[in-house]
Amino acid sequence: MKRTWLILAFAAVTGFAQSSAYVPPRTSDGLPDLEGIWQPRAGGAAYSILPHPGGFFLGAESKEGVVEGGALPYQPWAAAQVKELTQHMEFDPTGHCHYEGVPHAMYFSFQIVETPKYTAILHENMHAWRIVYMDGSPHPKDYSAWMGDSRGRWEGNTLVVDVANNNDKSVFDMAGHFHSDALHVVERFIPVDRDTIRYEATLDDPKVFTRPWKMGFNLKRAPKDYLFLESGCFEDERDQQHLVNGLATLPKDHYKQ
Amino acid sequence: MIHYRTLTAAFWLTSFIASAQAPYAAPRTRDGKPDLQGIWETRNAAAFDVAEIAEGHEIPYLPEALEKEQKGNRVDPMAHCAMPGVPRANYLPFPLQIIQRPGLVIILYEYLHNQRLISTTPREHLDGIDLWMGDSVAHWEGDTLVVDVADLGDKTWLDSARHTHSDALHVVERYTRTGLDTIRYEATLEDPKTYSKPWKIALTLHRNTQPGFELREQECTEGDDGRAIQPQYRPAPKGDPLEFIRTYPSKSEVSK
Repeated sequence: MKRTWLILAFAAVTGFAQSSAYVPPRTSDGLPDLEGIWQPRAGGAAYSILPHPGGFFLGAESKEGVVEGGALPYQPWAAAQVKELTQHMEFDPTGHCHYEGVPHAMYFSFQIVETPKYTAILHENMHAWRIVYMDGSPHPKDYSAWMGDSRGRWEGNTLVVDVANNNDKSVFDMAGHFHSDALHVVERFIPVDRDTIRYEATLDDPKVFTRPWKMGFNLKRAPKDYLFLESGCFEDERDQQHLVNGLATLPKDHYKQ
Repeated sequence: MIHYRTLTAAFWLTSFIASAQAPYAAPRTRDGKPDLQGIWETRNAAAFDVAEIAEGHEIPYLPEALEKEQKGNRVDPMAHCAMPGVPRANYLPFPLQIIQRPGLVIILYEYLHNQRLISTTPREHLDGIDLWMGDSVAHWEGDTLVVDVADLGDKTWLDSARHTHSDALHVVERYTRTGLDTIRYEATLEDPKTYSKPWKIALTLHRNTQPGFELREQECTEGDDGRAIQPQYRPAPKGDPLEFIRTYPSKSEVSK
């Protein structure tokens, strides 16, 4: 009991929870039913994962951001590089129609499909998809990808996805937050109620950060009439001039260390 | 002496009758539908010339459509990393994976991470929208999955041999399990602005039976290989926002 209260208190203070008392229904295969289309409440994380004012692109202002503690533990060289990248939004790979990578892809609507062997995550944005093998198989060797390689398991009712084999080109947002190919992400999809999943990710990248860090936000079930549509993107869309210095409006102390 | 061709015809006729007499009983999914799931691939050269798998190896172009095609864009949209469209996606030399859930068939294509979410609940096609991969609505006819594809627009090609279509293209696909490791795929293409009559293509989707085979990422963007987007610390352009476009480093510069 004491422990539960401690966890609840921790969750209340940080907004981060590792488990939930809610028991979701089962699929026909007997798996916790997290299937459906989910819409993140990520507060403009695609714009910046840190607290930020409203912006030209995604509009939403966020006083909290999605990163636990509101700051990223960059190594000094990496902090300098982020400041530089902020002024070079044109190098944002998503502006060139590349995959977002994980967790960047999770700031947009996606659909979960469950089978005993694998869980499929279909991302609406960039028509990306992931097949998360649930059979205990290891990450492949000598493989590097924009979306990395996802292997999953069930911990009670929580879907845990381990993402490795990330390349060093995908980024966390449009604000220049980046990682290396050493990035390792552990995602947790914690069912909170029928229409809510808590999404939490622990991110570790010893080449860029001084310690692992966490991000989290809620996912809400999409309305029944939500139509999952094709999101095509390829270069030569002739709007890149809008990207140049697009973040120049951010306050100078935006990146607190 | 029996002509070789007659023998061949007799052989095909016999095998046709045999297959007609004993259709393959496809395994079922949990909700009782024929199980099409797995990783499949084609073994033909239709990606280069769709006529190879067309009935009679001919595409019934209207003369004016043929003329338009000769004058049209000579660069394959896929060279610009555009999505391939339907049916082209199905015979690209990359595997695809079919996933089934109640009321839903999903086709994931390895190439350019294309995905089709196909509802088996009948509905009208979307109005006033063009999609690279079209709008797919499916139903089951016996053991055959029939997928009706519209809203394909006029930007995609059918192969790299510049066989094109208009925005009136309407494709009806039929997927039938014919064996443990085979799916018969047929598609009828109807486009009254381009073809004088509907025409058919057919191919076999073969299961990839390599142990542990999984789909991998096949990304494509223009100026590809990702080098063009590596940060190059050049001073940010001042004043003229278009200067960036004009001074963007060429691929050869970036790779140095």
